[in-house]
Amino acid sequence: MTEANPPIEDRTDAELLAAIAAGTEQAFIDLYARRQTDVYRFAFAMAKSRSFAQDVTQEVFLNVLENAARFDAAKGSVRAWLFGCARHVVLDRLRLERRWTDEAAEEIGEHGSEEHVLLQQRAVRLHAAVAQLPVEYREAVVLCELQELSYAETAAVLACPIGTVRSRLHRGRALLAAMLAEGDEGATPAAVVGEAAALRPREVCS
Amino acid sequence: MKGLMDERELSVELAELRSALRELRAPPADEALLRAAFRARRQRLVVAAGQRVDRGVRRRYFAAAAAVTAVVVAAVIGLIGLGRGAVQRPGAEVPVVAGAAAPEATVATAFQPLMYSPGFSPSAAYSVVRVRIPLSSFAVVQGTTVDGTIEADLLVGEDGIARGIRFNKADTLLVSAASE
Repeated sequence: MTEANPPIEDRTDAELLAAIAAGTEQAFIDLYARRQTDVYRFAFAMAKSRSFAQDVTQEVFLNVLENAARFDAAKGSVRAWLFGCARHVVLDRLRLERRWTDEAAEEIGEHGSEEHVLLQQRAVRLHAAVAQLPVEYREAVVLCELQELSYAETAAVLACPIGTVRSRLHRGRALLAAMLAEGDEGATPAAVVGEAAALRPREVCS
Repeated sequence: MKGLMDERELSVELAELRSALRELRAPPADEALLRAAFRARRQRLVVAAGQRVDRGVRRRYFAAAAAVTAVVVAAVIGLIGLGRGAVQRPGAEVPVVAGAAAPEATVATAFQPLMYSPGFSPSAAYSVVRVRIPLSSFAVVQGTTVDGTIEADLLVGEDGIARGIRFNKADTLLVSAASE
């Protein structure tokens, strides 16, 4: 007698991925519903564009259909694996479209009280600065600071050592601070990034 | 560094941006579209898997077809070489094949172009190859016998492709009846 599968809502992400690889349609719908926002936020944080984030989300989940069987739980969580897929899609699209940060700033939330609007403005300003970072630093800042992945998970996503993640995060934060400070004094973030080009890491993780 | 923001202040701002991003929701998914995408991709994977299975069978088939083609081409080239050798050596004696009759003596019809052949060219060189063709290779018509062979000449180009054919006078009626 075979044991019945648990309800899909109770299944872990890894179990859902295994079910997708086995051809269970509902598992795909459920994983999409559960994880689409994570992927969407990551893409939005990287490129500051909703349409871009939407396209990336769709492409990532289409890739999931083909590559679900390749997921290895020993290498990290499903969430980190999805960020890894999303990272490749984001980089490919940025490379193709050459649209790094040239879109008008898109506001993140709804308007509310004056204090809320002020907070939003600061968030939008910081997001603009994040989007101006060189992509190596941007990835580290987005994954560690905004998506709250651990160093180990981020290292798995970026396929590089933890030490590299730490140094990129450190440099990314330093650049951000410089950009915001210079922005207060009238310099553009792009100018700060241009001055900081010498800080770009030599090693490139795949 | 001059003008550097306080690290703590940056951490606070990053936390604000983080919570602002938490409010962000992906647009609702169209479940029908997702299901359609799943089925389409699934179908493609199944087809691809089937093609992988077929590939081995197909490889053996192509290997056999290639071997047959190579044998046929080698035979045709060999025949052409024999014919050309006789033509290109003016001083040499024409080899006499025992039992072979002179083509002019037995073949009366004109060369008929073969279907789907590249056609004739006045400037090209051709060889004539005498063959015997089984009657069974023609359409069977009432009143004709399937057994036996007929004699014919093939007009073969330098590329080894036959361009035309003519039949032995005695067999012409039989061939025309069979091909009608």
